[in-house]
Amino acid sequence: MTDAAIRFDQVGFRPGAGFAIEELSLTVPRGAIYGFLGPNGAGKTTTIRLLLGLERPAAGRIEVLGHRIPREAPQALARIGYVPERPHLHPFLTVSQSIEFHASWHARFDRPWAAKLLDEFGLVPDRRLSTLSKGEMGKLLMLQALSQRPDLLVLDEPTDGLDPVVRRDVLAAVVVYVADYGATVFISSHLVHELERLCDWVGVMDAGRLVSTLPMTEFKDGVKRLSMRGPVERLGPPPFTVLSTAGQGATGAVWVIDGWRGDHAAWFHAGGVTLDAVDDLDLEEGFVERLRALRGGRSS
Amino acid sequence: MGLTDGTSGGDRGPEAVRLLLRWLDDIDSRSAVPLYDQIATRLKAAVGGGVLATGDPLPSVRQLAAALRINPATVVQAYRLLESEGFAEMRQGAGTFVKRAPAEDRERDRQARARRLVRQLLADAAREGLATRDLERVWKDLLKERTP
Repeated sequence: MTDAAIRFDQVGFRPGAGFAIEELSLTVPRGAIYGFLGPNGAGKTTTIRLLLGLERPAAGRIEVLGHRIPREAPQALARIGYVPERPHLHPFLTVSQSIEFHASWHARFDRPWAAKLLDEFGLVPDRRLSTLSKGEMGKLLMLQALSQRPDLLVLDEPTDGLDPVVRRDVLAAVVVYVADYGATVFISSHLVHELERLCDWVGVMDAGRLVSTLPMTEFKDGVKRLSMRGPVERLGPPPFTVLSTAGQGATGAVWVIDGWRGDHAAWFHAGGVTLDAVDDLDLEEGFVERLRALRGGRSS
Repeated sequence: MGLTDGTSGGDRGPEAVRLLLRWLDDIDSRSAVPLYDQIATRLKAAVGGGVLATGDPLPSVRQLAAALRINPATVVQAYRLLESEGFAEMRQGAGTFVKRAPAEDRERDRQARARRLVRQLLADAAREGLATRDLERVWKDLLKERTP
């Protein structure tokens, strides 16, 4: 028994020329709502396909709910609810037929709850899937995944392209599920703001690499915007990571830094620099700054 | 095994939750004040504003988390904070209920909330270039209107 719902250890994978996932190590604690962030093309969907056993890694080790992937993927998949980025359901089925078909694969499928969600989501049982809107399809996929009563819910851009009302319904259903069953949720999105309230862990991917993985509070607390005046250029090597700088010491400089601690103020004071403000960044700003710093470091 | 075991109790009626949500709809995940703290503060204000009375059940964790689309653990944290401050009581299996806080706590909390509101007003006024005496004049006029 392991305390991690998902564990990647030094995983490598090259789907084709150019893009590659290299030395990917990632741990998602059981019971976490893990926000998996990154720009389009960062490797989020590839990582999800690896964890579901849909791709075979070239190197490293993957464990999901205590099962080795891909060898024990069937055992793991029986306990995973998956909402893919692109719908994969049969278009000629009706909504209720699709739910029945899905239920037949999953021993724990909760029909009463499926019926309740059908009603809540306003889905029409007799409609053919080929006639559903994007929002209706998104709701049906979520309904099917949740009614499986999974221990792990894997959501790949679950709200992308959905209107705000549908987004609210879908996210509320996920929240209720977590409250009732304490399941682990792995949710990939480039809609950073949406994850800010929901997730308690954050991982950031860029160009096939994991840039950072932290509890949400640390992710948000560590990155600060510092406003200062004084002989900034004479300061020694800082006790934190500087992500970006702007302005001059005389008129006022602004740094964005990672790894802030309250006692770092003394370091500025000792260098004769006045620290005017230490501001929090929101998740989106923190995400953008970390990414920018990483890319700048790589190109230089 | 749910997060809400032992604290979920019964869900409240949708109307009661909707009424309460008006006090909570401006919580801001970008604020430096943690979300659970913001929720606790607003629930206390709802009690002060008469929306919730002593002995009333608070929404279940799942209800409030779903309505606000936040992590259920955040709601649990808010309820724990309220409990530690004497404003709520978690009853095993029944839910979380509004508790009459000791008089001096209520007074201290009322003052803290009033101070926060006034500080906010002064900051907004300064940003809009309004002087304190402008505010004082309007303040007096408005009070006169309210007390015939």
